[in-house]
Amino acid sequence: MTRVLGVGLLTGWGAGVAALPEDARRAAGDRRVVPLVTPPLAGERFRRATRECLLGVAAVEAGLRESGLSRAAVAGPRTALVYVTAAAYAASNRGFIEGAGTTLHFPYTAPSAVPAEVAIEYGLTGGYVILVGGAAAAVDALWQAGTLLAAGRAETALVLAVETFDECADLWARGRWAAPRPLVEAAACAVLVGSGDDSGYGPGAASTLEALVARRAGETLACAPLVGLALARAAGAPHARVTGRWRGRRAQIAVAT
Amino acid sequence: MSTFGRTSAVAVVAAGVATPLGLDLDSFWSALCTGVDGISAIERFRVDDLRVGRGGEIKKLRALRHGRLPRCRASALLLLAADDLLTRAALAADPARVAVVVGTALGGVEEGERALGERGARAAAAGLYDSPAHALAERLAARGPVLTVSTACASGATAMGVGADLLAARAADLVVAGGYDVLCRFVMRGFDALRSLTRERVRPFDRRRSGLLLGEGAALVLMARDADAPRVRLGRLLGHASSSDGSHVAAPDPQGRGLEHAVRGALAAAGVGGDAVDFVSAHGTGTPLNDRIETAVLRRALGARAGAVPVNSIKGALGHTMGAAATLEAIMCLLASRDGVVPGTAGYEEPDPACELDVRGATRAARPRVSLSTSLGFGGCNAALVLEGAP
Repeated sequence: MTRVLGVGLLTGWGAGVAALPEDARRAAGDRRVVPLVTPPLAGERFRRATRECLLGVAAVEAGLRESGLSRAAVAGPRTALVYVTAAAYAASNRGFIEGAGTTLHFPYTAPSAVPAEVAIEYGLTGGYVILVGGAAAAVDALWQAGTLLAAGRAETALVLAVETFDECADLWARGRWAAPRPLVEAAACAVLVGSGDDSGYGPGAASTLEALVARRAGETLACAPLVGLALARAAGAPHARVTGRWRGRRAQIAVAT
Repeated sequence: MSTFGRTSAVAVVAAGVATPLGLDLDSFWSALCTGVDGISAIERFRVDDLRVGRGGEIKKLRALRHGRLPRCRASALLLLAADDLLTRAALAADPARVAVVVGTALGGVEEGERALGERGARAAAAGLYDSPAHALAERLAARGPVLTVSTACASGATAMGVGADLLAARAADLVVAGGYDVLCRFVMRGFDALRSLTRERVRPFDRRRSGLLLGEGAALVLMARDADAPRVRLGRLLGHASSSDGSHVAAPDPQGRGLEHAVRGALAAAGVGGDAVDFVSAHGTGTPLNDRIETAVLRRALGARAGAVPVNSIKGALGHTMGAAATLEAIMCLLASRDGVVPGTAGYEEPDPACELDVRGATRAARPRVSLSTSLGFGGCNAALVLEGAP
């Protein structure tokens, strides 16, 4: 079974599970979106990086710290990166459409910009998969990472999810069917090792963890299963059945926490 | 020791396409082999303010055999490819065991642009990049996993790899996998501004190559576990691998290290060496940098035989179809094996000493057994597929 070494978690509530409120809906009050502060990653290296790119880098940094791994330990071809998002490209797309970005920002409209900045920052050159979708896609991402590990295509896998909403809050307000309030911006990175065998990946009913994540974090879309892993680890659970739903499909996977 | 484990081969049972060269597999293949030019002046949206206004545009969509075409062009192209696929094979499995995995660079960005000027939840939802995949799954009545892959212009290859993994993990019994993208003003503006588009002909690997042109399309394959698949099939996906460059957001690694890693990984996963490769379908965009880097990678990976292995790029004929490209190229590899014909590289006339590969402008007789297909994309995305034609 795939084992979680650590989960780096940043949400609109703060860093880590300790920052999560007991009741996200109540804590959000009238706010439709609980935004994340842009990480202070400055300098020439990040001059063009979008907010979501910076959040991705910061989440990986937190994930490595939680896992006790150095940058050198993950650099190179033996670490896979699986990135998932439902919508962290929307802000850059909108910026490009509405003319706010220069031509140099065009490559940043692609969902691949976030993992690209992460791969550059940490020297990751191994297996590389980018999935688009909400919480069910994040479960798919955990499975895909386990597959890469089980096949010997990686020794360590990073599953990274980033969700931002603030720049397109008006569009999300129209789509309440897909994402109930409060929308909570988040970036999370789970560091995985081991084998994906016996993961129980497939369709499944909602787990108690899924309900806990919704109650404590709010709607974080693709980040939700990783928030669940962080909560399970914080609770000292040896295993977690992680579930996630998106567009009518719910997926599940079992992970050693 | 290889850094990649061996993976299970899966059968590619059938394929369906929608391209500027034709809206079904037979017309696409015939046009490729006879040198039809799929590039034309773009008519569907405004291009008069751009440096380049040509591309592989599909001028007229045909009707579906069942149901209506959706407003979203990306979904429409996918449904047309599926319509074509289903004329050749049935989805004979429990719908809950049928998965859909499609790759895209742009998703529903055209719908997203439209959503900014319209009201309503439906328009906003259509702009999400995974909307076309769900439209396809709904049309196919597939109730298994629905995954959208977005490794930029390598998406179609990554999607086939993920689909193969789903089958190997027994998370599905059938997988409809592939890729799509539409030619729209958003992407034309972006590539035009980057000065990646050529005002001349697209000339992959040619000494005079000066850039790419974009195209649109959709390509799907039906995949099944080898042991469960029907005997009549296009071939097999023997191995696949992906990698990240970790070097630049918009440009490939100058030494092609990421692509080489993916190529070696796919060969190792297939259980074959570079000496087993009979044909290479290159990414071959026609940009000065891409083709030079790709040549160097192929020469390293294929070794002494590199100059003798037929290589082609179909992007001269239909443009760079982004998310659809890699799946179209994989299908082309299998059709080449079936018919003993390797399509020429449209636009290739003058050899470039920096691209010393066996590239030809004309279609030639050759029946590759094992083919290698390479793909690269923004974000340092690399993917490689190793395919085997049906005996």
